[in-house]
Formats: sequence, C-alpha cells, structure tokens
Amino acid sequence: MAIPTRLPLALPGFEHIKRGWNDAYEANAARLNPGEYYVTKNDECIYTTLGSCISACIRDRVTGVGGMNHFMLPASVGESGWKAAGLSSSTRYGNFAMEHLINEIMKNGGSRQNLEVKIFGGGRIIANMTDVGMRNIDFARDYIATEGLRVTSEDVGDVFPRMVVYFPVSGRVRVKRLRSLHTNTIVEQETRYLHTIEEKPVSGDIELF
Amino acid sequence: MDTKITELVKGVGNLVTLPDVFVRINQLVNDPNSNISDIAKTASQDPSFTVRLLRVANSSFYGFSSTIDTVPKAVSIIGTSQIRSLALATSVASSFDGLPNTLVSMEDFWRHSLYCALIARILAKQARKCDPDALFTAALLHDIGELVIFNRLPEQAKAALLLVLDSADEMPVYQAEQQTIGFDHAQVGGELARQWKLPPMLEECIEFHHDVNPALRFPREVALVHIANVLALMAEINTLDADDVSPIDPRAWELVGLSPDEVMESAVLEAQSEVVEAEKLFFGK
Repeated sequence: MAIPTRLPLALPGFEHIKRGWNDAYEANAARLNPGEYYVTKNDECIYTTLGSCISACIRDRVTGVGGMNHFMLPASVGESGWKAAGLSSSTRYGNFAMEHLINEIMKNGGSRQNLEVKIFGGGRIIANMTDVGMRNIDFARDYIATEGLRVTSEDVGDVFPRMVVYFPVSGRVRVKRLRSLHTNTIVEQETRYLHTIEEKPVSGDIELF
Repeated sequence: MDTKITELVKGVGNLVTLPDVFVRINQLVNDPNSNISDIAKTASQDPSFTVRLLRVANSSFYGFSSTIDTVPKAVSIIGTSQIRSLALATSVASSFDGLPNTLVSMEDFWRHSLYCALIARILAKQARKCDPDALFTAALLHDIGELVIFNRLPEQAKAALLLVLDSADEMPVYQAEQQTIGFDHAQVGGELARQWKLPPMLEECIEFHHDVNPALRFPREVALVHIANVLALMAEINTLDADDVSPIDPRAWELVGLSPDEVMESAVLEAQSEVVEAEKLFFGK
C-alpha cells in the first residue's frame, strides 16, 4: 500500500474543497458536492456522486492540468418530482459551471486545442418524473459542441446514480453505477442544491456559484 | 453490543410480526403428527394466501404442465416444506409495512431482495443438496435487518449511507454501519430471525450473508446467499462485470460447488428476465 503523501497545495480559489488521502485509490482525493468544481495540476483524483446532476471532466492532455464540475440546470420541485424551469434563464447556471471549469484550466496552463472532455451522470433516478437528467445531458453536449470541443468518453442517462472518480493527470475515470439503496440520499443532496440555486436571482454574473 | 442489538429488535416487536399463515404452517411442518391435509386446510383458511399460492403454483415460476386449481393439489405437488417457504415469501413484504423509513423506498428495497431470491433459487437448482424454495425465502429475507435499522436508527443509518457515498470506492454498507452504529444490518436481521424463531437455516443465511466464515450449521446455504446477494447487485445495476460490485468470497464458490465462469452471467440474465413477473407474484396486491 502506498504511503499517504502530504496534501499538495490547492490552486487559488479551491482551498475550500474537501480533500484527503484515499486508501483505495492510493491517492489524494478531492470530494465535490453539487454545485462545486475543482481544478488541479497535481497527481490527485477528484470524485463525486451523481443522480440527475452532470459532471464534465476536462483536462489538457499535454500538460495534465484538469478538473471536474458538478451541476444541474435549475428545476422546481413539485409533487410529481422535479420540473424543468424556463430554458433561457436556467442554462445560465450550466454556462457558468462549464465556463468556470474551462477558464480555470486555461488559466493554469491548459490550451484549448489539447482539451479532452468526458461527461457523466444525468440519470433518471426517480421514476415518473420529468427527465431532468436528460435535460442536463443535452445541455452539456450542446455546450461542448458549441465550444468546438469533442466528448471522448461518456456514461450518461439510464436509471442509475453514479460514483465518478477522475484522475486529470492521466485522464483515467472510474465510473461505478450505484444501487437504488443510495437513490434517496442522492436525491436529497441534489434537491438541497436545487433550492440554493433557485433562491439566487438569475441576474448579474459570476456570483452565482 | 449484543444486548444493544437484542433491545433494538425487541423495540420493533409490536410493529412487525410474522405472517400468521406462516406461523401456523410452520408449526404443522414441525409437528410429526400432522399430515398433508392439515397443512392444506390451514393454508386454505387464509383466502389471500390461497390466491397467492395458486397464482405462484400456476406461474412459470414452477412451470408445472397441469393446472393447479386447489390448495390440496398445490400442497401435494409443491411439497409441505416448500409451501411453508412460500407462505413466508408471499407475505413477508407486507408485514414490514409497519416499519416505514425515509432512506429507501420499499419498492427498491424489495426489488433487491427479490433479485437475490431469484438468483439464490437458480443457483440452488444447480448446486447439490440445496432446497431451491428454502433458499429463495432465505435470500428474500437476507436484508430485513436493514429495515429495522432504517426505522429505529434513521440518523445513524443515514450517516452510514453518506459514508459510503463519501468513500470514493463504494465502501460496503455493512462496513459503514459498523463504523457509525457499531453493528450492521446482518447482525440485526439474524437477531430478528432468532426472536421470530425462524428456521435456523434462514437465521444463518441472514446473519452471515456478508461473512460466510462463521456459518457452521448451514455453510453451503449461507455461501449461496452470499453469492446471490452480489449477483443481485449486478442484476440491479445491469452489469455482467464482477468488478462493478463488491467482491464474492472465493470460499463461497467452493462451498456451493459452482464455478463463477459457468453460472454467474446466466444467473444474472435469468433473474433479470424473471423479475417483473416475480414482483407481481410475490408483492402484487
């Protein structure tokens, strides 16, 4: 078993992300909650759990700088589950999540032509609800295409929650589908996140995250 | 620690009870002086069980060629101890309605249990010296301790589930429970089986489904449920890659005398093809 290494310094702006040594992966690991993102130049992994939310994993395949975000487009929580909010205002949140991730990678030595993009999540984890997962997938694909980037790998949609572990230095990803025992816990986390983005006015700019 | 588990299980005594029809048939099966018509008579006295019994008996689950239209015929064809298994299997889910929780839907909970039961039954037919119907019931009940923990210790149970999600490599739930609660759902289920005086085979299968080594009386059956539990996870997340789920103790395969290469994929696929029909048969109102 590898000996835990000292936690490398986080890039400026990412000091608040929870990190620690993970025995299973023999690496330092950053844990993303819904709405967060993390970019690193270090040989560490980033992981999160996804229900209907989506994560883009993006890195510069030459320099190894890369990161992950975790977001969803706003929706309202009603009797029958989540309902999509109006598209124009809601895509703003997705745009911010994607922009921030890409901008931070570029700021830390990434070049647009070297970017490698993978997307995960967007599961339809509750039956009989609007498929907000698919809406998140469609948004991510559109955004990436509009930016002139290409998705090299994805595991999206279907009915499962997922656990995603990403190593930006190598580009390796481990995706585990989770059993339905975890569905309610993940729905609760994502619903809490939804409330936080719904409460904030969709005006102004960057403070949204 | 053991007294804590005992107290916990005693605390749900009024909320969830064994189905009457199972208790009465169980007594008759254990009574050397009873005969097959006593058992048929008792089964017939419960109209809802009669309906469920005949529905299962005539389904593809058994695949008998002739129609089974009476309870005595069902008992004679299926067998008395198998009827006892069915009495428990077809009633147990509704008897746990008295133990609601907010962490998992009953539908999701029992689907995993049913996958495990279907796979245990499939493997029991291929393994030697295992009663497929008894294994079906043992596997259907393997996680009942979870419903007790989720109902009685919701905060600690939730902390355990969060620990799993925070682990990055999907720490097994029972290990997370040991960390946050001090014991796990298999121990609680085993204690519930003891207090309910369930057949010892069921008790061992429930108590040791995560660690087959302490099972001394029914090691083969326990090993089979241990395997079926992991294959049920594969069926649920729709994968045939064993690396996607928690590992199976290699000793379990030795104990049941089956080889994973020969049975794993076919058992998962067969259970997936059976689960919708079986949900109607066993949990249909």
